[in-house]
Amino acid sequence: MTIQHVSVPVGAVTETLSERALTFARNPLFGGDRHVLHGPNPYRRMLAPETLPEIDFARALTARDWATYRSLGAHRLLGTFYEAETVLLPEQGLTELRGDFDEFYGTGLRHLREATISDLERFAFGCLADEVDVSGNCTVDVLDAYFQHVTDESEQGESPALNAIAAARRPEVAADTYLVQLALDGLTEASAMSRNLAGAYGPEQSALFKIFIDEFGYGVHDTKHTTIFAKMLRSRAMATHVHAYWNFYLSGPLATNNFYYYLSRDHAKFFRYAGAVTYAEAVFAPAFVKMIKVYREIFGDDVDLHYCDEHAHIDEHHGRITREQVLLALAEKHGPGVVPELMRGIAEARLVGGWFEEDTAAQIRWADDIPRHRELAAATRTGEPRSVRASVDGPFGTRSHDGAVVLALDAGEADLVTSATGEPERLVRGDAVLIPAGRVYGIKAVSPECRYLLHPVVDEPTT
Amino acid sequence: MSRVVVMDLRRHNTVLVGHHRYFVFEPDGRPLLVRDWCPHRGGPLSLSRQTPDGRRLVCPWHGTKVGTAAVKRTSVPMVRSGDEAVVMLPDVDADTPITVIHKRILANLPPEAEQAKTVPCPPAAAGVHE
Repeated sequence: MTIQHVSVPVGAVTETLSERALTFARNPLFGGDRHVLHGPNPYRRMLAPETLPEIDFARALTARDWATYRSLGAHRLLGTFYEAETVLLPEQGLTELRGDFDEFYGTGLRHLREATISDLERFAFGCLADEVDVSGNCTVDVLDAYFQHVTDESEQGESPALNAIAAARRPEVAADTYLVQLALDGLTEASAMSRNLAGAYGPEQSALFKIFIDEFGYGVHDTKHTTIFAKMLRSRAMATHVHAYWNFYLSGPLATNNFYYYLSRDHAKFFRYAGAVTYAEAVFAPAFVKMIKVYREIFGDDVDLHYCDEHAHIDEHHGRITREQVLLALAEKHGPGVVPELMRGIAEARLVGGWFEEDTAAQIRWADDIPRHRELAAATRTGEPRSVRASVDGPFGTRSHDGAVVLALDAGEADLVTSATGEPERLVRGDAVLIPAGRVYGIKAVSPECRYLLHPVVDEPTT
Repeated sequence: MSRVVVMDLRRHNTVLVGHHRYFVFEPDGRPLLVRDWCPHRGGPLSLSRQTPDGRRLVCPWHGTKVGTAAVKRTSVPMVRSGDEAVVMLPDVDADTPITVIHKRILANLPPEAEQAKTVPCPPAAAGVHE
């Protein structure tokens, strides 16, 4: 790969969040290439700089915006910022990628990230302050009652994403879409947690560390959770390098992953983090039990579910340890002043986890039913279109739209790509597809001349 | 252990717990579940109106003025996420009946305008400075 480097001069921080975000995204590391999947290079990921100017960064996301393009674009950026504070090295060695490594971690982008990250966090997660309130006299007993209520509800409730997989016409592709969303965290697992291990906060610190060493396989790489997650991907003939599926991460899962970084980056939010991680650990075990059932029904023994078995088992312990030795222990020791923050963390994790599920389910249902969305396109009233050109050798990227659009091929032929492992949908001139708000897709030109129209939907038919 | 009640804030604003009543009070735009009980003689504060300065509620029974800060202190533990509120009711027996309903709440209406007690200055005089 030819590497073209453009260094951002130190101190060249532009004024607005939009300008800073765009300056960052325009770095050659983030312009993408013509391949649908990203190669084994953790420093390069498509931030779609050509469509980023559509996002008004002056208007923060609300809790109802989680499936918008504004959310997708912002969380792609924010995730990249957070990961630049972790160590990413390519499995094949750094020799060919030393330049990219230097650029990704270099002074120019670092200064830009540091000047931008707090504003971007406010843009992306400021809505949590409006969406979640904790009031009243919250005692340890109240905290535990709330925790038990929401975790019981999760255990007894349905998973919209797993239900969508089970109901899909192509359940294998749907199941892979779910794995892709899990891969976002699964291949870098517990990185956010690692930020709360340092310092000195007593037995609760040791309790969190017990969970961390389970995640890291007790120092044995073959048992590290990321290793056994890769094994699961391999059994599905899927790529195992970090962010191969970057283009297919949805905004809900990106927001979920970023949420834990957001809480752990700022130690003023430590008690919210403790609440959130306790909720997560408690709901993981039953969630993986459900996932095992669905995946066994689809694939039989042709999928390696060691990762799910491990979580279904060890998260029983993690759920208990975090509740007793982190959540309740922190509340007992540090008093009623921290209890509302612990409860807020639980509530926020529950809210954001819902975005993961709903977004993944919606993407699975849409990508599984493109013929129906071709029909719906014809029955949809639309407004004035805008024209987009695609070229065979141009960079491939995916996006969504804040509102529904009808995509109509105006010239040439192209593939509509809606999932990482499913067959793309070939579109020829005159073909049109309804793309509901928030659904992620990419257009890959297959003819030298390719142009399509995006018609905003005025009146969307019932899907 | 606390009893847990889930409210849909689009449909519910009152919780009946045995003989006690709580209502959703929004003094700062954020909902709190507070005791519907005037400390004077137990009147329904949900039917009170705010004083013009918004700092007190005037009980409809005897006109007793109760500070909103004192009312807020009666709030029971609640976690709101969007339109859903999970309420924890400490020390409530398992056999105590709990009902969630919708009632008319006057305490959240804007303060009633104070009746003019003085004749306003005529516009021509308003900007005159001695």
